[in-house]
Amino acid sequence: MDLRLIFDGKNRAHWNMALDESLLIHLRDYGPTLRFYGWSPAAISIGYFQSLEENVNIERAREMGVDVVRRITGGGAVYHKWEVTYSIVLYPPPGKILDSYRMIERGIIEGLKELGIEAQYSGINDIVVNGRKISGNAQTRKYGGLLQHGTILMDVDVDEMFTLLKVPQEKMRDKIIKSVKERVISLRHLNLDVEFEELQKILARGFERALGMKLYEEKIDEEILNLAKELGVKKYGNRAWNYRR
Amino acid sequence: METEHGITEGRAILKRGKLIKVWARFKGEKILDIRITGDFFIYPEDTIERIEEGLKNRKISEVMGIVEEIMKGCEYIGIEPKDIEEAVNLAWKKN
Repeated sequence: MDLRLIFDGKNRAHWNMALDESLLIHLRDYGPTLRFYGWSPAAISIGYFQSLEENVNIERAREMGVDVVRRITGGGAVYHKWEVTYSIVLYPPPGKILDSYRMIERGIIEGLKELGIEAQYSGINDIVVNGRKISGNAQTRKYGGLLQHGTILMDVDVDEMFTLLKVPQEKMRDKIIKSVKERVISLRHLNLDVEFEELQKILARGFERALGMKLYEEKIDEEILNLAKELGVKKYGNRAWNYRR
Repeated sequence: METEHGITEGRAILKRGKLIKVWARFKGEKILDIRITGDFFIYPEDTIERIEEGLKNRKISEVMGIVEEIMKGCEYIGIEPKDIEEAVNLAWKKN
C-alpha cells in the first residue's frame, strides 16, 4: 500500500492539530497519510485528559508568545520548539494499541539509525537513546481509523520548558527539573547538527522502510484543508476545547 | 475542605506509571461531582467522561464496581480501575 507524504513546514498550534484531525476524518476516502511539521511560534500541547490550568502557566505562555492547544490524543504536556513532529493516519488500525504504537515508532528508530543512532522503545510510548527520551508519541482511534503523532527532539531547553509548565508539587520543582534534564536527550546532545528539513526526509525514509509502504508526495486536498480551517477556528482555537478540563 | 451544607471538596494525585489527578465534591460518602485528569491513555477517550458521569451521586463504596463496568472492553495505559478507586478514596479522606 502507498502512503501519502506531506512536508508541511512550521505552523500555528491550532492549525497543526486541526489538520491532523481532518486527515483522520478523511482517511477512509483519501487514504493513509504521513505528515511532518513544526511549530511557529513555539507551542505547548496538552494531552486530551489533562487540565490546561493545572499544567500550563498560561500567563507566561502569553508573555512569551507561545501557543497553547489541547490534543485529541492522551499523554502529557509537550513544549514544541526545537523538534520535528510527525503524524500518521492509517486505516484500518493495525492490531492492538500497544502493538501499533511499536509498529509506527519503528519508523523513528529506523530514521535515527540512518543518523548512526541506536534508539529503542521505552515504556508505552517513548523512544530512548542511551536510556534517555528523544521521542514521545500519542495515539487515538476515531472515525474508524488511527492517528498517531509524536516528536523527535532536535534540541531541548528544560529550564525554558519549565518556565511554561507547572509541576504537580511546587516544592519538588527543582528536583523534577533535574530529573527531566537527566532523562531527556536531543540530537544536539548527540552532536548531530541536522536541519529541520533534512531530518524530516531522513525520518520519512525510516517510516518507508519500517512500514513497508511506498511514499509519494502530494499536496493536501482542498476538502481536507477546508475542514482543517474550520476545526482550527471552532475547536483547536477555541477556549471551550482547550479549557474543557 | 468543608464548604456549605456539609459539602466537602478533596483532591488527590497518584503516580501509577502515568499521573492521575482526582478532584471531587462530596456530601458524606456520596460523590456529588468528580473530575479525573492526567497524562494517561484510555481508548475510547470518552470513557473518562462516562466514568465521571457514572460516579455522580454514587457512594465511595460503589466506585470500583462502576468503574470496572465502564472500563470493561476498553484499552487503557497508565490508569486502571483500582487507581481511580484509590484516588477517589484519597480525595475523600483529604476533604
